[in-house]
Amino acid sequence: MKNLRFVILLLVVASIFAIHAQAQVIVIANPGVKATEISKNDLRDVFTGNATSLPDGSRVVPILLKAGTVHEEFLQVYIGKNDTAYRAGWRSLVFSGQASMPKSLDTDAAVVEFAAHNAGAIGYIGKASPHEGVKVLAVK
Amino acid sequence: MKRLLVGAMALALGAVPVMAQSLEDLNIQIHGYATQGFLYTTQNNILTTSSSDGSPAWTEAVVNITSQPNPKLRVGVQARYFMLGNLGNEITLDWANADYKVNDKFGVRFGKVKTPSFLFNEVEDIDPSYMWSLLPQGVYPLTSRNSNLAHYGGVAYGTLKLGSNLGKLEYRGWGGERAISSSDGYLVNQREEGITFPNGLNGTMYGGALRWRTPLAGLMIGASDVKDNVLNSAITYANPIAVPGMGTFAGPFSGTNTVQPFNIPNYFARYEKNKVMVAGEWARLPYSVALDIVVPPLVAYGVPYVQTKFRVDQKSWYGMASYKVTDKFTAGVYQSQSFNVQAALGPGRYSKDWAISGRYDFNSFLYAKVEQHLIDGTEIGYDFTSNNVTPGAASPAMYPNTKLTILKIGVSF
Repeated sequence: MKNLRFVILLLVVASIFAIHAQAQVIVIANPGVKATEISKNDLRDVFTGNATSLPDGSRVVPILLKAGTVHEEFLQVYIGKNDTAYRAGWRSLVFSGQASMPKSLDTDAAVVEFAAHNAGAIGYIGKASPHEGVKVLAVK
Repeated sequence: MKRLLVGAMALALGAVPVMAQSLEDLNIQIHGYATQGFLYTTQNNILTTSSSDGSPAWTEAVVNITSQPNPKLRVGVQARYFMLGNLGNEITLDWANADYKVNDKFGVRFGKVKTPSFLFNEVEDIDPSYMWSLLPQGVYPLTSRNSNLAHYGGVAYGTLKLGSNLGKLEYRGWGGERAISSSDGYLVNQREEGITFPNGLNGTMYGGALRWRTPLAGLMIGASDVKDNVLNSAITYANPIAVPGMGTFAGPFSGTNTVQPFNIPNYFARYEKNKVMVAGEWARLPYSVALDIVVPPLVAYGVPYVQTKFRVDQKSWYGMASYKVTDKFTAGVYQSQSFNVQAALGPGRYSKDWAISGRYDFNSFLYAKVEQHLIDGTEIGYDFTSNNVTPGAASPAMYPNTKLTILKIGVSF
């Protein structure tokens, strides 16, 4: 019984570390976006095409990474889907005439560059990537 | 030739995904997909195909182009090649519209627009967007979907926040003209019974839908209602007409088909979280039809037309569930039932379908589906010609049960 409790404790601790280990993604936006933070629900709405503005009224445009671990982590942690399911959701909107597919860029640097120069752009990059010229939004 | 062109189109779709990248300077995007299905049934031929011999006669290819000149305005057009058994085999316009979204609370779309009724109506014909090969046929009939999917007119839409603890409410309101093409499955069935609609069937319609995204993450509850005003059209009637006391007259005759105004109420719910999706839907389609047939010899006797009436009252529902087994493989099951409560007792009055389905995504562009159906009843999915049935004749009739296997492969970009 003691051993079982120990194993469960280990699993809980390991899962907490795993969650923290995944949070290597930061959300960035064009400096013109008024908000300094964004809720996880609002972030999901913006990146799934359910919303085009933040609660403060700022119009935002999501920017994606094409692939890679940062992209997969962002989808897993904040959207709750893998890339295939995520893009299938966007295809539903695109092929039914309800939205255009978000722009997909190759690298963190390209996302930073685009977000810095395009009003309303909101994207995500690796925590360690340089991000001058954009603001970082805290995810609540 | 058309099949060859479509095949070439499908290959092109798979070969050049790079084209899908936004053409940055013009904010133009081009997207498309193509699917190829294979059907096999143990008994009846289904969906107008020769499925009891195994049939590959289910091909679709779609391409669209959209432009977003500014953040609020988007314009686009989508064309579709559709071939299913004896239906389609033509290129049609899916939608062509301009969309002006003021903000998340209000936007309008006008032109030829998708009709946002039901749970899946806007995506019913977008195969890459869901796991099933066939959506429940009582609510989403594949052979007659074009008449329900889109209309000429407009849609107003938006999302309202209901407060921090009440979730969000999405609304849709629409109106315009419904145009049922003469090649639609419903009218093809009518033609097989001797009633031809050379110009299709047209009429005005309007409707509304509400979707409540509840505070319970992933749970959405909704309802929609569509009001169809009078649909009428010129017809030719090929069958002989017997008039008591005056004899039997041989056709063909001209006439008018009138569908009286009717509503299509619909309720649905979906729960989607992590790897699980559960959904259910109920719909009713009640309508009355009057055929006014002009029989020239009778006109001289002061009888301008002979009238025949019939009524359909179809009630359909389904429950479905799916589970994402791995990142690439999703499995699911649904039970779907449909009843025409105005029909005579027997297998032609109902359809009950158990479906077991799987979808495998090779990557973000290429996928395959496999689906097994156990169908009881013949109310939905069958036509007379492909089953060698003579309307009104006692035999040979269709079998009451059929097992249907579907294989499907699709590519999108």
